[in-house]
Amino acid sequence: MNPITRKLVAKELHLYRWLLVGGTAAGLAGLLSATTGEVGFNIGFIVWLTAVIALGVMLALFGVASERKERSQLFILSLPLSHRDYVRAKLLGLLTCFVLAWAVLSAGALALIAVMPGIPDGLLPYGVLLCIFLLMNFSVVLCGALHIASEAAMGGLIILTNMSVSLFMMGVGRIPGLGEHMQAPAPVWNTPFWLLVAALLAATALALALPLFIAARRRDIL
Amino acid sequence: MNAKVIEMTGVRKAFRFFTLEDVSLALEPGQIMGLVGPNGAGKSTTIRLLMGLLAPDAGSIRLLGHAMPEDQAVAKRDVGFVSDDMRLLQHASLAWHMDFIASIYPGWDAAYAATLLKRFGLHAGQVARSLSTGEQAKALLLLALARRPRLLVLDEPTSGLDPVARQELLTEFMDVLRDDSRSILFSSHNTLDVERISDRITFIDRGRVVAASDKEVFLERWRTLRLRVTGAAPAWQLPEIVHRDVDGSFVTLTVDGFSEEFLARLGAPVQEVHRMNLEDIFVATVMHSRQAQEARPS
Repeated sequence: MNPITRKLVAKELHLYRWLLVGGTAAGLAGLLSATTGEVGFNIGFIVWLTAVIALGVMLALFGVASERKERSQLFILSLPLSHRDYVRAKLLGLLTCFVLAWAVLSAGALALIAVMPGIPDGLLPYGVLLCIFLLMNFSVVLCGALHIASEAAMGGLIILTNMSVSLFMMGVGRIPGLGEHMQAPAPVWNTPFWLLVAALLAATALALALPLFIAARRRDIL
Repeated sequence: MNAKVIEMTGVRKAFRFFTLEDVSLALEPGQIMGLVGPNGAGKSTTIRLLMGLLAPDAGSIRLLGHAMPEDQAVAKRDVGFVSDDMRLLQHASLAWHMDFIASIYPGWDAAYAATLLKRFGLHAGQVARSLSTGEQAKALLLLALARRPRLLVLDEPTSGLDPVARQELLTEFMDVLRDDSRSILFSSHNTLDVERISDRITFIDRGRVVAASDKEVFLERWRTLRLRVTGAAPAWQLPEIVHRDVDGSFVTLTVDGFSEEFLARLGAPVQEVHRMNLEDIFVATVMHSRQAQEARPS
């Protein structure tokens, strides 16, 4: 990583530190609430899920779209960096911001499933898959933000990715080899699980790599 | 070595409704070039091409000897660029911006930054979003000036500033040029500012450079002449005459290329000769260029 990229990554962490703290705190509060019983669990899960999704959307919107709209992108582009440096720094910076919060919240959620009595440990693979899906979801939104200048198109992408979370949660339980083990007392880490993990990670990597091949190679950055 | 600071040759950039055509610019070390043009003339596009933010469709661009946009990361190490379209990061303080720029540019002059901060009436603790448009402009200029760049590229830097702030800024620009190796390119449609500080001027209109010369050459070459004629005004066919107004027996000629020899060729008694200011020269140049363009068969 060159020095300017490092400084730009640090810049993202500085600018969004309170958003990260707030989002992480809200997600952890959701997890805490989930320990208080069935109703608390449902509310807490929604708060946790909302915190992770909203954090990802806000980071992509504030970090890329708003910077462009508020015309501070030009300030960054005036620095000694190339288009490629800019795109790489944005990807790394915003991904680092998201991963910091996502890692804490994912670990918290999985720990909750593992230690809380009444929640079958069979849900752990489902939890892992959901967490990775949320990481992929953020990567897709970030990829979109780096390629799409239109607010309407960006809004459409956010709606689609949000809908996809619900569809994933419903659909993953129907996948043969996954759904039938969700209520099991012990987690089942079988081939369908690993295949889905691999597919989600591949999609994440693709979403994060695309800007380096498309956005970074644009001749005109403005 | 006396390499050109800016060298644009035959640059073309086409957009859907606008084309920058065959733009060539050259700036020597220690010069201030004013890029003057009406709104939509192509000043900002020219500057964005120069800064590597846009890639030309044709032609070549060299900034401080580096090919643009390919070598922009290296070239921009010695350039301070400010545009009226530019804003600071809205949620960060001015102090944070100063530390950020200082960490990137080894030539950052903290004492000069502190002086400018005071002179511009800014406070380091202010968050960017709380700054007015004029304060944002001053803060951006502070960040560009205090890095002590070899070249300042300023796109409409004084728009949005009050007259006092403008004066302060122009004084700072002159200060920058005490060091002979530093140069400034600045675009403006405020000809007064350009006339005061530039030593080289380029007029741009409708995507084309319509005139480029040293300021003194412009001011020496252009005159308005007032003549009194009897009968109909002669149909002078002299290339120096770019415009004429006839009011009864009085004729006012706008002349590009005034000289004693021209007066002799004019062959009519001239009552008054007036020097023109840059604004009048600019307007006459643009109008003449547009007439010539319209007269050209398409």
